[in-house]
Amino acid sequence: MPVQTDSTMTVTPSRVVLPFYLYAALSFLLSTILLFLSGENLHGHYFQSQTLAITHMMALGWGTMMIMGASHQLVPVITGHHLHSLALARLSFYFAAVGIPLLVYGFYEMDMGMPAKWGGRLVLLSVLLFVYNLAATTLRAGSRDVHCYFITMAALWLLTTVILGLILVYNFTYQFLPRSSLAYLPLHAHTGILGWFLLLVIGVGSRLIPMFLLSKYSNKKLLWLIFFLVNIALVSFIFSFLFIKAERAYLLPLATILAALMLFAVYCYRCIRTRMRKKIDAPMKLSLLSILMMLSPVIVLTLLLTFLLSGKTDPRLVVVYGFVIFFGWITAIILGMTFKTLPFIIWNKFYQSRMGLHPVPAPTDLYHHGVFKVMALGYISGFTLFTWGALSETELLLKIASVLLILTAVLYNWNMIRIFLHKTRTA
Amino acid sequence: MNVVTNDNIRCTIALAALEQVMDPEIGLNLVDLGLIYQVDFDEAAKKIYLTMTLTTAFCPMGEAITSAAKRVLENTFSGMETILELSFEPPWSSERISEEGKTFLNI
Repeated sequence: MPVQTDSTMTVTPSRVVLPFYLYAALSFLLSTILLFLSGENLHGHYFQSQTLAITHMMALGWGTMMIMGASHQLVPVITGHHLHSLALARLSFYFAAVGIPLLVYGFYEMDMGMPAKWGGRLVLLSVLLFVYNLAATTLRAGSRDVHCYFITMAALWLLTTVILGLILVYNFTYQFLPRSSLAYLPLHAHTGILGWFLLLVIGVGSRLIPMFLLSKYSNKKLLWLIFFLVNIALVSFIFSFLFIKAERAYLLPLATILAALMLFAVYCYRCIRTRMRKKIDAPMKLSLLSILMMLSPVIVLTLLLTFLLSGKTDPRLVVVYGFVIFFGWITAIILGMTFKTLPFIIWNKFYQSRMGLHPVPAPTDLYHHGVFKVMALGYISGFTLFTWGALSETELLLKIASVLLILTAVLYNWNMIRIFLHKTRTA
Repeated sequence: MNVVTNDNIRCTIALAALEQVMDPEIGLNLVDLGLIYQVDFDEAAKKIYLTMTLTTAFCPMGEAITSAAKRVLENTFSGMETILELSFEPPWSSERISEEGKTFLNI
């Protein structure tokens, strides 16, 4: 089917997207510093001020800001229609940029007063604008593409998560829910982790991975199955949490999510097997590693449930569970995909109008490959040592691992700033 | 790598110009990648009709690639306007890659 090109401007201007990337990178750095400073607090219950502050800095400042920024870039490409409103995208950034530090400060000081409440309100406002902008873009495109369903559904789960989060902040000061806010944290956390992060990463990853590997593999039926499995797992978890309240009931959502992850791993494996580009670059290797790392929270959760079913609890596993999600697969895929997407955004800005007329560098030339490799090595070692240190409660290991993660964040920021400060040059 | 044309001589010149345009992600030019389907010339209307494809319909560099293709053709054939159509029928496949391209990609 021929398509007349008229330079439809499906590319979102870099000035709209880049602030999200920069904010996310700085949040990652700050989170790793906070992780280093938390030290012994990580051994106790997860409901601690510093743990909650780090979790929200990672979930909102790092993961959500990065994914929101990338979505503003990728959704127009996937739908073939430009972003509904650039102004709303900017407003969404400003609200989140102010709201997140207020919320994190509230958690760090365990003050659920005005800073946390205003932080929560601003984050909600930001997410509302983001969801509206995204929905308006996909609806106008009229796309029935499975990837669009993943992204739209993920955005709706994000909205649910943020609304629930704000309710919990209010419930801290005026308890109007049947139970304390602490009791509802698993609900808030899992709508965010499964509904927002997992659905979005699968939806976008299933488009980007074959594209970057130059693979023609496509399996819409498999993706629809994964889409339903993740949503069924989440809905059944919410139902079990609210109405059944027995640990045994969580086995169904756990098994369903495991099936979804295994199927996504199969999808990625088939993309790798059928790829035309034999050489896989380092950012892509790290992104593919993150797919394998998705299985680690399921393993930890299975252990946790086994303990719970035998009437025991182990706070170490809860800390490790949160760590392998936020510092694990979510971080790994962002570290990898940043260097597959950001260089293109900057490259487009400088070289789109010069290509074909002058020799221009490739997007991959915009970042330092050696620094990326050291960063990846630092990250993998830091992640492994921290998990080991948290399980064995070895303070020294936790400190070494935290330093390695700070190094990862510093190198990540350095390479990102190098791309940001790129000046036009010929190849 | 078969390119349909109504003017073999000018098509050869057009393809040589299009070889200057790279797919930035892959690092291979549009001709060796087999992205060019058809180049027709209408001397009376001063128009070049270029039909091409992309490696994927959702290529984020699509706009950069198509505008560069138009630009080099209009630079090479001054005074002529390029009308570009993107076609995904038939979809691009590795069979369309030239021997040089296959060597480059290690296929």
